[in-house]
Amino acid sequence: LSASELEEKYGTSINKGLSSSRAAEILARDGPNSLTPPKATPEIVKFLKQMVGGFSILLWIGAVFSWISFGIQFAQGAESPFDNLYLGVVLALVVILTGIFAYYQEAKSTNIMASFSKMIPQQALVIRDAEKKELPAEQLVVGDIVEIKGGDRIPADIRLISAQGCKVDNSSLTGESEPQSRSCDFTHENPLETKNIAFYSTTCVEGTATGIVINTGDRTVIGRIASLASGVGNEKTPIAIEIEHFVYLVAGVAISIGVLFFIISVSMRYKILDSIIFLIGIIVANVPEGLLATVTVSLSLTAKRMAKKNCLVKNLEAVETLGSTSIICSDKTGTLTQNRMTVAHLWFDNQIYSADTSEDQTSKYAQPFDQSSPSWTALSKIVTLCNRAEFRPGQENLPIMKRVVVGDASETALLKFAEVILGDVMSIRAQNKKVAEIPFNSTNKFQLSIHETDDPNDKRFLLVMKGAPERILERCSTIMINGKEEPLDSEKAEAFQTAYMELGGMGERVLGFCHLYLPENEFPDTYPFDTDSMNFPTSNLCFVGLLSMIDPPRSTVPDAVSKCRSAGIKVIMVTGDHPITAKAIAKSVGIISATSETVEDIAKRLNIPVEQVNRREATAAVVNGMELKDMSLQQLDDILCNHSEIVFARTSPQQKLIIVEGCQRQGAVVAVTGDGVNDSPALKKADIGIAMGIAGSDAAKNAADMVLLDDNFASIVTGVEEGRLIFDNLKKTIAYTLTKNIAELCPFLIYIIASIPMPIGTITILFIDLGTDIIPSVALAYEKAESDIMNRRPRNKKKDRLVNEQLAVYSYLQIGIIQSVGAFVTYFTVYAEQGFLPSTLLGVRVDWENNAINDFEDSYGQEWTKYQRMYLQWTGYTAFFVSITIQQVADLIIRKTRRNSIFQQGLFRFQYWFVAVPFAILIWVYDEVRKLFIRRYPGSK
Amino acid sequence: MARGKAKDGDGNWKKFIWNSEKKELLGRTGGSWFKILLFYVIFYGCLAGIFIGTIQVMLLTVSEFEPKYQDRVAPPGLTQVPQVQKTEISFTASDSKSYEPYVKNLEKFLKDYSADQQTENIVFQDCGEMPTDYKDRGPYSDAQGQKKVCKFKREWLENCSGIQDPTFGYKDGKPCILVKLNRIIGFKPKAPVNDSLPAEVMAKYSPYLIPVHCAAKREEDADKIGTVEYYGMGGYSGFALQYYPYYGKLLQPRYLQPLVAVQFTNLTYDVEVRVECRAYGQNIQYSDKDRFQGRFDIKFDIRSS
Repeated sequence: LSASELEEKYGTSINKGLSSSRAAEILARDGPNSLTPPKATPEIVKFLKQMVGGFSILLWIGAVFSWISFGIQFAQGAESPFDNLYLGVVLALVVILTGIFAYYQEAKSTNIMASFSKMIPQQALVIRDAEKKELPAEQLVVGDIVEIKGGDRIPADIRLISAQGCKVDNSSLTGESEPQSRSCDFTHENPLETKNIAFYSTTCVEGTATGIVINTGDRTVIGRIASLASGVGNEKTPIAIEIEHFVYLVAGVAISIGVLFFIISVSMRYKILDSIIFLIGIIVANVPEGLLATVTVSLSLTAKRMAKKNCLVKNLEAVETLGSTSIICSDKTGTLTQNRMTVAHLWFDNQIYSADTSEDQTSKYAQPFDQSSPSWTALSKIVTLCNRAEFRPGQENLPIMKRVVVGDASETALLKFAEVILGDVMSIRAQNKKVAEIPFNSTNKFQLSIHETDDPNDKRFLLVMKGAPERILERCSTIMINGKEEPLDSEKAEAFQTAYMELGGMGERVLGFCHLYLPENEFPDTYPFDTDSMNFPTSNLCFVGLLSMIDPPRSTVPDAVSKCRSAGIKVIMVTGDHPITAKAIAKSVGIISATSETVEDIAKRLNIPVEQVNRREATAAVVNGMELKDMSLQQLDDILCNHSEIVFARTSPQQKLIIVEGCQRQGAVVAVTGDGVNDSPALKKADIGIAMGIAGSDAAKNAADMVLLDDNFASIVTGVEEGRLIFDNLKKTIAYTLTKNIAELCPFLIYIIASIPMPIGTITILFIDLGTDIIPSVALAYEKAESDIMNRRPRNKKKDRLVNEQLAVYSYLQIGIIQSVGAFVTYFTVYAEQGFLPSTLLGVRVDWENNAINDFEDSYGQEWTKYQRMYLQWTGYTAFFVSITIQQVADLIIRKTRRNSIFQQGLFRFQYWFVAVPFAILIWVYDEVRKLFIRRYPGSK
Repeated sequence: MARGKAKDGDGNWKKFIWNSEKKELLGRTGGSWFKILLFYVIFYGCLAGIFIGTIQVMLLTVSEFEPKYQDRVAPPGLTQVPQVQKTEISFTASDSKSYEPYVKNLEKFLKDYSADQQTENIVFQDCGEMPTDYKDRGPYSDAQGQKKVCKFKREWLENCSGIQDPTFGYKDGKPCILVKLNRIIGFKPKAPVNDSLPAEVMAKYSPYLIPVHCAAKREEDADKIGTVEYYGMGGYSGFALQYYPYYGKLLQPRYLQPLVAVQFTNLTYDVEVRVECRAYGQNIQYSDKDRFQGRFDIKFDIRSS
C-alpha cells in the first residue's frame, strides 16, 4: 500500500495526524493501548478452593459430624461431650492449616501478565492536530502517526511510512538476536517478516522512522502472543494427577468402609449417634492428614537441593514433572549453544583446520592447527586489522572469552580469536596504523581498511579486506599458498568452492580474507586515500583464506544429551534458526546421532529423489517451519512417532505450541526450554516450562515452571535425576503412610464388631498422622537413589502410578494387617495385666461405656468405676499408639528401599546405635535427680 | 476399590470383570486367583497363629489369681445398690410399679446374703458379730485350695434386709440403699484417724471399721434429707476389716463384701434431693475426676402421688 492508500484506510493524514476528537472516538471504540490482564480469580475463591480440595471435604464432614454429635450429647447432658467438640475443632484446624499451607504455595506462583505489562512504553511522540505531542502510549489509537528514534520502545504495531537507517531488535518477539533493518518497502507477505512493520514492545536500536499505528493493545502481535500464553490453560502436573488419583483411592476406601460400617453398626442396633461417631473415626483413621503437607515439604526440599544445582523451581510440583519427562523440546541458542559466535574453522593453504570452540579457551597452544605457515601469519594480520570491534576498557583481568566487546557478533568472534592467539590485538593495531577504512555494508558486502606496516623499513601500505567469500574471491587474482602468491586458476578456485561449501554445509558463517601490499612508488607515504572515490585498487588482490564461525555448542551439552538418551528421554530441537545451522548443531551435540540420517541424507547417498526414499528408514528428521505450516496434525504426529531424532527449524511461536501439543498427543510429558517472549506460550503449554535465567526474558521466566540459572542444558539432566528420585521417594513415603492407616482403622472395625473397649481414640490417630509420622515421612524424601535411575525409561503416565494396586494391597492387606495384629497384642496385654483377660473383653462395650455402672467386674472379680475404666482405656490408647509408632520404625526401614536389600543400601553401622546409650541413661538419671530435689525442696528457686 | 482399576472407563470395566480372551475374572485368571487366595489364606493363617500364640504366651505370664498391676483400679470406688439406668432413685410411694425395679434389684443383690446361702461350713466362716482386724488367708495361690469367706448376716441390715419388709421401705416412701466398697484383690482399707471425721461418724467409732456416712450434697439440701438410719454389722455404719483382704474370684468365688444399708426415713417429697455418701479411711481417697472413688452421690425424687 502506498502512503496515500494508508491515509485513506486509517482515516488519517501523514502530515497532520488524527484530530484529537477523532482519536478520542477511536480510543473509546478500541480501548486503551495496553494489554488486558487475565481475569484473576479472586483470592478468596482460590483460598476456599484449597479449603475444599482433596481430603479437606472428608475432614470437614468429619468435623461437622463431630459438632453435631457434640450438640446432641450436650443437649442430652451426657458426661463428656467435649471430646467431640475438641475433635471437630482439631479436624477443622487441620483442614484450615493445610489449606493455608497450600494456598501460600499457590500464591507464590507468579502472574505471567505482570511482565508483559512491564514492557509497555511509557511515552510516545505522536502527531495529532498537525502538532507533535508527547502522549502516554496507552492513549495511542489506530491511525495515529508516530515518530520513533533509536533507543525507543515501539509503542504499538506500526506500518512505517518513512525510515532512516532504522533497525529494530525483535528478539523479544522472534528470538532472533540480530537487529533487523526496517524500511518502508513491503518485502514479505508474512507480517512478521516484512520490513515495513515494527512491532509493539520491540526496541528500535538505531535510526529514526515515522509510521502509522495499525494495531493497538491486545490486537498487536505481542498482545496476541500474550493472550495465547494466558489462554493456554495450566496443564495439571503429573504429580498433581497422581495425588488426585491417590486422594480418590483413599477417599473411596474411607467412604466405602465408613458407610459399610455405618450400616453394620446401625443394623447391630447401635444408636445413630454412636454410628456417626464411628463413621468419623473411620474417616479420620483412613485419611492420611499429614501426607499432603509431607509431599509439599518433600518437594520443596528437593526444590532447594535443585536450586543449589542451578535449577530454580518456581512451581513445586514441577520437580517431579521433570522426572517423568519423556520429551525435551529444547531451544538452540543459549541453551544448547554458548550464544556467542566463535571461530570454528579456518581454511588456508588448501586445507581446512578446526579451531577450539570450548567456553574457556585461554592460550594459543590450545588451538589445534598449524600456526607456523606464513599464510597463517598473513591471515592473522588481516583478521586483526580488518576489524572494528574493540574490548571495553578495564577488563584486563577477565578471561578473554568473558570480556565485553563493542561490535557485532562476527567481529567479536574474530577479535577474541585473534586476542587468544596473538595476544594484545590493540597494540598490534596501534603498530599498524589505520589510514583509511570502508566499513561493511550490504551492497558491497565487504569491509576494507588500509594500514601502515609495523616494519619500519617497509614503507608500503597494506590493504586488507574481508567479506562474503564469493565477493572476495571475485576481487582476487592470486592466492597465497604456503606464504607464496600463486595465480588463482580454475583448479584453485574449485578447491576454494569445495572448502566454502563444506564449511557452509556445517551451518557456519564463512568469511573470506584477502590482502594487497600497495606498491610504494604508486602510493607514497603521503598518498591521500579517499574512501568515497576509492582511489586505490580493490581488485586483483591476493586471497589468503577463509574463516568460518558458529555459535558452538556448550561443552557439557553432548554428554547431557547422551544421558537423556540413556534415560529414555527424546530431545527435540526447536529453533528459529536456519535448518542447516540447526542440523549442524544438532549433530555436534548428539541430538542427531552420528549414524542416523535424514530423508534428505539418504536421498543424497543413494542418489535418488527425496520422494522415493522410504521415510521409515530415516531415524532423523529436520523439519522446516514452512513445511510445518502446511502439515496436517496427522503428518506431524507421524513425524513425531517415526523419527527418534527431530530438529525443527525456522519455527514461529505458534508452531512451537503446535509441536508441544503434538508431543503431548503422543502421551509424552513434555519439557520445553526457551528464553524469549516468543517461547512463553510453549513454555506455559508444556508440562514443564524451563526458562533460561541469564538470557531469558521476564515473560519466559514467568511462564516457566523452572528457571535454569546457568542457562545450561546439563542442569536439566540433574533436574530429571532429582525428579525421578523424588517420585521414587514419594512412593516410599506414601507406602509408609498408608500402612498405618490399617492399624488405625482395624481398631474401629473390631470395636464395632466385637464390642471391645475402644483400642485407640480419634485424637490419638490425629496425633500419629500429624505428629510422629511426619518427620519419618519427610526423612524418606532424603533417601538416595537406589539403582541408576538415569538408565530407566521415563515412567509411563498411565501405568506407573504413584499409588498402584501392588503398593496399596501390600501396604493395606499385608504390612498393615501385621501392624494391626501387633498393636492388638499390645492392647490385649495391657488389659490382661490390669485385670481384663481377652475373653472378658469381648462384648463388654455397652456396660463398659455406661456411666452409671461403677462396679464393673473384671476377670479377677475386682470392681471398677467408670473413670477407672476410662483411665485404663487411655492407657490402652497409649499402648496402641506406641506399638504403631514402634512398628512404623520397622516400616520406615523396609520402605527405605524398594528393590535392594536394606543391607545393600547400607544401614547405619550397627554398633553406632549404642554409642549414645550411656548418655541417654545419664539424661534419665540426671533428670530423676532433678526431680528428687524438686520433691525434697519444693518452692526453692 | 483398592484394586484401583475401576476407572479404566468406557466399557473397559466390562472387560475388566470378565475378559473372555484371556479368561480373566477381575483382571486375573482362575489359576492366578487361586494362587493369590492361597497366599492370603496362608498369610492370614500364619498371622492368626502368631496372634493367638503371642496372646497365649502373654497369658502364661499373667497369674490366674491376682492381676499383675492394680494402679488403675485402686483406690477403690464406692457404689450403691439399687442401680437402675442412672444413679437416681425416683418413685411414687403409692405406686408399686414405680419402685418395682429398685426392689427387684435389691432383692437380687441380697440373695447371696440370705442365711440359707451361707450354710456350707467349708466355704463360710463365722467372723463374729463385731468388727475385728484383717483376716489374712495366706498366699494368693490355690496351693491350699480355696480360701474361706466371712459370713455376712442379712439380718444385720434390719429394716433394709427385706426380711420384714419385702419392699425395703419403698412403699412407705422411706427408701433403703445398700452401700458397698468396690472389691479389689489384696486391698486392706485402713480405719480413719479419729480427728478427721464428722461428728456423727465419731459417735460410733471402732478401730476396725471403715465408717460410711451420707449427707446432703449441697448445703441448702441439708434440711430436706431428714433422718438417716444406718444398718450394718453389730449396728455399726461401716465395713468391718475382717472381710478384707479379698482373694479374688478363683479363691473366694462366693465372697460376700460387707454392706451398709442406709435408709432415708424422712426425705422431702416432690423435690430433687442429692445425697452424697462417703467411706472414710486412711487409704480411701476422693478425686474430682472420678466422682465414684471412695464416695458417690445419688439423687432422690420421691413423688407424693
